Amino acid sequence: MNTYHVVITFVTWFVLCFFVALNGGYLLLNLFSLRALHKRGQEQFLGDLPRAYSGLEPPVSILVPAYNEEATIAASIRSMLQLTYAEFEIVIINDGSKDATLDVLKREFALLPFPEAYRRTIPTKEVRQIYRSTRYPNVRVIDKVNGGKADSLNAGINASRYPLFCGVDADSILQRDSLAKVTEPFLRDPTMVATGGTVRVANGCEVSGGFLTKVGLPRSPLALFQVVEYLRAFLFGRLGWSALNGMLIISGAFGIFRKDAVVLAGGYRPDTIGEDMELVVRMHRTLRAKRQPYRIEFVPDPVCWTEAPEDLATLKNQRVRWQRGLAESLSANWGLMCSRNGGVAGWVAFPFMLFFEWLGPVIELGGYIFMVFAFLTGAISWEAFGAFLFVALGLGILLSASGLLLEEMSFHLYPRGKQLLMLGLVVILENFGYRQLNTWWRLVGLWRWARGKESTWGAMKRKGIGEEAAGVPPPSA
Amino acid sequence: MTLVPHSDPFVAAAIWTGFAALILTLLLALQIIAMRMMLRRRQRSDARALSRWRPLLNAAIVGEMPATLPPLRRGERLPFLRLWAHLQGSLRGEANEALNEVARRLGIDAYARGLLGRGSRPARLLSALVLGHLHDLDAWPGLLRMAGQPDNTVSLTALWALVRIDPQAASDYMVPLFIAREEWALSLAAGILQQATEPAARALTRLLPQLGEDKLPRALRIAEALHLALPAGVLKSALDSGSMPVVIAGLRGVRTPETLPEVRALLAHEDWQVRVQAARALGRVGERGDAERLVQLLGDREWWVRYRAAEALLELPALTRADLEALRASLTDRFAADMLSQAMAESASV
Repeated sequence: MNTYHVVITFVTWFVLCFFVALNGGYLLLNLFSLRALHKRGQEQFLGDLPRAYSGLEPPVSILVPAYNEEATIAASIRSMLQLTYAEFEIVIINDGSKDATLDVLKREFALLPFPEAYRRTIPTKEVRQIYRSTRYPNVRVIDKVNGGKADSLNAGINASRYPLFCGVDADSILQRDSLAKVTEPFLRDPTMVATGGTVRVANGCEVSGGFLTKVGLPRSPLALFQVVEYLRAFLFGRLGWSALNGMLIISGAFGIFRKDAVVLAGGYRPDTIGEDMELVVRMHRTLRAKRQPYRIEFVPDPVCWTEAPEDLATLKNQRVRWQRGLAESLSANWGLMCSRNGGVAGWVAFPFMLFFEWLGPVIELGGYIFMVFAFLTGAISWEAFGAFLFVALGLGILLSASGLLLEEMSFHLYPRGKQLLMLGLVVILENFGYRQLNTWWRLVGLWRWARGKESTWGAMKRKGIGEEAAGVPPPSA
Repeated sequence: MTLVPHSDPFVAAAIWTGFAALILTLLLALQIIAMRMMLRRRQRSDARALSRWRPLLNAAIVGEMPATLPPLRRGERLPFLRLWAHLQGSLRGEANEALNEVARRLGIDAYARGLLGRGSRPARLLSALVLGHLHDLDAWPGLLRMAGQPDNTVSLTALWALVRIDPQAASDYMVPLFIAREEWALSLAAGILQQATEPAARALTRLLPQLGEDKLPRALRIAEALHLALPAGVLKSALDSGSMPVVIAGLRGVRTPETLPEVRALLAHEDWQVRVQAARALGRVGERGDAERLVQLLGDREWWVRYRAAEALLELPALTRADLEALRASLTDRFAADMLSQAMAESASV
């Protein structure tokens, strides 16, 4: 056997093993998720019943960064005011908006300048003025010089009064009981430092008064693909890691943090595009280094709904950013990787993210290109090529189907048989082009990160909810 | 067509893996369909059970107890228990008693006791709730066994039921347990004990003098969550302790002026968290003469100390708005003045 054949054989096996290991890893996470969801299902009726113990929920500061949100900000805040929770405040951070966001807030909430002795626990851009609503004593607005979402969240942390804070995207649609659900782990476990809830695709759903009133499926195929993608990413991508206390991502769209733990880690990093993931990874690193017992947990209940992009350009833009955010988060916290006291986060989750999510697109797309090349040049047989496609697509479909199974055994949000059938179809179809396209976009993201281009938020085209400002949502499980 | 020399095992491995994935996918699809069908069937049977029992329970709630009750069929038991427990949790007073009577006439108490020992996890949780609502003394040994289990949800639900059944005996059992089990969130422990504040207070007061400095902070925090007025002797020894967590927990529990000298002494403590709590305690129990001490703290280097000192100033008795305005005007420290302005603006808008 000559060197050429040895190389071809090696690469062929490597590509096959990569696909099997990647999907096998996710299937393993799937098993952990199954166990967690089964336990949750057993306790679900307790949630339906009047609470056996309650009334001492920790108060929460809801931080809402807003940049050019004049069209939607008032409705968003009004819906947040209706959240069912014992005690919370809303801190809106107007991040130097160029439109009339601040004027709208002043008008809608009867804001007056408030003589706040603002404390700078975390350095931020200059705060111009703090306002307080004369209609709702729990609503304050920080008007600051533009510094990006992370900088705004840091300003919000500085101004927040309560021990827990919740970062929310201004365009998110929250469930009325979101706060109660996502703070529940803090009641149960004193070592809890952060929790994140499930984000679902709102396209095709009915929204009224800022709340989701009826769950439906989108008409757009691109949004439909994302429904299945979010099921995969949240129901086992995150729930599985959560069961192992190795969750590295909490979506910026809705997550709750213990303020002292975040301040200890240094707050959000303003120079990264994926500030939400970066913070969680850094919290792991900091708390592990200090040998402080902690838990970061995922709440599988759907608590937050977001509008998914329905055109290719917007979707591409979003995915490129997610991949860059992922790369920034991992590279900035290299110290966690297999560190002495790294635990599951450092020894399992970080390497998994590194090999399968960060470098994954290179190997995945490289694998496809290599197999096509090897087939065209006659280096591998058509049987080998066909078998490769069979295994790559088969494992992809299996993975998506398991996401659907988790949804069915836990929430069955899509009650009609027709909806289930449609999702079943999408589980198969998304493997023929959509997933490969996604891999390509992730590769572009990786390339842009490697070139070190400045991190900025691109404009996102939205149909109904407004400008997008989502953080690092699902890795493409 | 060229075959790489080692491609055969590759093709075989790939095909087998692909087939395994395909078969698993088909099994998942069948599982999803089966689950959907089972869900539909269960929803229909639950709906039938509820449509039969809801009117009867509603009638009992409004005082129209039926003379005879139909038998509770086997398949109706769990949906009935869920509905019954839900109504129990939503109602108060005579309505609760009426529901209890319906349950006893149907033999629900015996059925739930049976489930405690041999039911599935959700059934055991549900039966503990039911037996708690029923104040069922016979369930005590079963619930005690359940309370000792390592599963937090199971044990806390059993403890909730125990405290409903016999608050005194449950408090004697639970208070030391809640102090010892630090992995149980304080809010949950206090939430359960709130159903038996007086017996819990007695049990806690008996225990406090015996506790070491490692357990004392948690015990004091439980007392705080129950809004208990602790004996001055216990508080004084906590405030004189060399342990910061004990001092902080003690300060949080100050509700009466008996410990004022100790609180005042702690205003100058080197740990800022102690100063924060001392300022808050002074706000609760301080006198007009303490204003000057709090003004000193308005210039503290820690924001939270300044904030709590400003709040405490506003709470002191006999200090009028005019006094506060004058005080603010007299402040030369900008940080102190800003903080007092904020606290005054906050209190004005509440």
